[in-house]
Amino acid sequence: MDKGYKVQVEDLHKSFGDNEVLKGVNLNVKDNEVVCMIGPSGSGKSTFLRCLNKLEDPTNGHVYIDGYDISDPKTNLDLVRQNIGMVFQHFNLFPHLSVLKNITLAPTQLKKADDAEAKKQAMHYLDIVGLTEKAAAMPSQLSGGQQQRVAIARALAMQPDVMLFDEPTSALDPEMVGDVLAVMKRLAQQGMTMIVVTHEMGFAKSVADRVAFFHDGLIQEEGTPEQVFDHPQQPATQSFLNKVLNV
Amino acid sequence: MEQHTRRKKWLWLLVTATCALGFLYFNQQTAHAEPTYTIGTGTTFEPYEIESKDGSYDGKNNGIDMDILKAIAKKEHFKYKLKVMGFNAQLQAVQAGQIDGMMAGVSVTDARKATFDFSTPYYNAGEVMAVDKNSKIKSFKDLKGKTVALKAGTTGAIYGESLQKKYDFKIKYFNDSNTMWNDVHNGGTVATFDDGPVLEYGILNGVPLKIVTKPAKTTPVAFAVKKGENQELLHKFNAGLASIKKSGELKQIINKYLNGNAVKTDTASQRTIMGLIKNNKGTLLSGLWMTIELAVLGIICATVLGVILGVMGISDGKALPWTASTITYIFRGLPMMVLAFFIYIGMPDVIGQKIPLFTAGIITLTLNEGAYIGAFVKGGFKAVDREQWEAARSLGLPYNRALWKVIAPQGIKFMIPSFINQFIITLKDTSILSAIGVMELTETGTVIISKNMEGFKVWAIIAVMYLVVITLLTWLSNYVQKRMRV
Repeated sequence: MDKGYKVQVEDLHKSFGDNEVLKGVNLNVKDNEVVCMIGPSGSGKSTFLRCLNKLEDPTNGHVYIDGYDISDPKTNLDLVRQNIGMVFQHFNLFPHLSVLKNITLAPTQLKKADDAEAKKQAMHYLDIVGLTEKAAAMPSQLSGGQQQRVAIARALAMQPDVMLFDEPTSALDPEMVGDVLAVMKRLAQQGMTMIVVTHEMGFAKSVADRVAFFHDGLIQEEGTPEQVFDHPQQPATQSFLNKVLNV
Repeated sequence: MEQHTRRKKWLWLLVTATCALGFLYFNQQTAHAEPTYTIGTGTTFEPYEIESKDGSYDGKNNGIDMDILKAIAKKEHFKYKLKVMGFNAQLQAVQAGQIDGMMAGVSVTDARKATFDFSTPYYNAGEVMAVDKNSKIKSFKDLKGKTVALKAGTTGAIYGESLQKKYDFKIKYFNDSNTMWNDVHNGGTVATFDDGPVLEYGILNGVPLKIVTKPAKTTPVAFAVKKGENQELLHKFNAGLASIKKSGELKQIINKYLNGNAVKTDTASQRTIMGLIKNNKGTLLSGLWMTIELAVLGIICATVLGVILGVMGISDGKALPWTASTITYIFRGLPMMVLAFFIYIGMPDVIGQKIPLFTAGIITLTLNEGAYIGAFVKGGFKAVDREQWEAARSLGLPYNRALWKVIAPQGIKFMIPSFINQFIITLKDTSILSAIGVMELTETGTVIISKNMEGFKVWAIIAVMYLVVITLLTWLSNYVQKRMRV
């Protein structure tokens, strides 16, 4: 374990029954770094991401967040999770709460802020995602893109050190994608440490510091966007990029 | 937020009030000073027990048993509280220690002597056969192949059973005289065996039967306590009996009832529906009130148990979900009447303490309805998208916060129709508690009919009362449901 990394993954294995989905993944992410994970569906990248905040229990291996081993039973998982924001493919806003309450729920429940302070912060994050006028709306009244931006604001309100994005734009209509990606790009520029599972190659190319190509439960190839996109070394990477870039 | 706090406060208040109420009931029933005895008696056993119009024994002509008991208690300076319930329930309640003794026209038999101690007999009753007043049956021989009505556990039943082989008839058992007599009158059965005085008095008051045999198997009637227990009460009773025998008071009491001097219960004008309602207003309302009390308290306690079972049912690991589903399995599987008997009659032997009737009723409702509620609370929680859990937990919310702040408010929407359904079922299920003698609306109906034999009209009144309450409850539920959707 190296204290210098924000996220450190060592030999991560995950099986569902007989099906081994992750076959020994290693990854180190530094502070302020943006890592995009690309690869075909079913290659294990979403499972990998979900192992990072233990939504999935790894079968083997270690995940260190800020140096804390999350598979150690002594680690306070809830506390670690407060520092990892997560954005889901299907947004997962709480449908019974207003946009504002969605954002203030965790900070007030976890005594991070009193009501007034939490509300003020929520408005600040809504401003960042460009949705201050929707504070009182219910999630069902928002478009998919708006819901996803609220979900990002909700995660940011816990002031996390790391943000995990699990295919944040794949459930969106094409015209909504741009707004969400713009918000993510701005976050990256402000120095947020981000791990993004995505099919948006353009975003990966322009925003990522590093791109990791996932295939068959392993990271087959990683490097700068230029290295991976322009000079892929592995046949699997070349074949995948051929399919997604030259439609 | 403010609204939340207020709601929470309200909830706490409710829970505290419930507990306090339950405690009060418990105390009320157990914290008696020594010289007050709880004595069981029946609802339908004229001339031994004759209830006044409001269903109590506070009136003038209360029957042989009640008058004797009153006279003896006065002579011997003890107080007593009456517990009114079916004859069989009394026998069991004495054995279970729920009541100290029973004064209910109990015949002294050898079988009963094994488990009861009896006082000096205060009366000798003979068994007779009665048939419908237009029946052609005249003797035992005419019974061949027919069905005879017997009241379970009575001397009349023992007498009837002893004749069964010889005269080759079938037997149908009943729990109280009036239902039984009605059955004979309606032709469901052709004859009945019962105590002579009981039948005589009934016929005097309009029961459409006639007595066709001479009294046989004369047996003494006495006050009973559990064998080896409550000897002090038994001694007091015997001493008091001896003294009223000597003073002639006993004879006076018996003559009063068996010479037809006692007031007839109702006149014709009081037998219209309106007349019946007017006459029995107090009894009906107290029965209704008891039903509502049982239903409301039962629903609250069952909801608490159900939510606990539901939360256990969805928790991680194996032990808690297993425990929850076992509890649900048992109490959903048991017929509620069996559960009621088990708690009220069975448990006191095991725990060595009386369970007050009302408490036993509430426990029964709580366990049975709670098991059903537990099943759909679990289902409601599980119906919430798993991703909602993930979203809540990934924000760092601990399990319980995620459950109560995110999952439960969504799950409750799935549960509400089931809740409303269960509330209505609970209200109706309170009627089952009449089996252990709780004086709720149904039992009230039995008692009123025992006095006037107006089965159709009284049950119609009771049915309408249930429907009115259930309609109100349904309206209330729909209103709540509508408000929660907004």
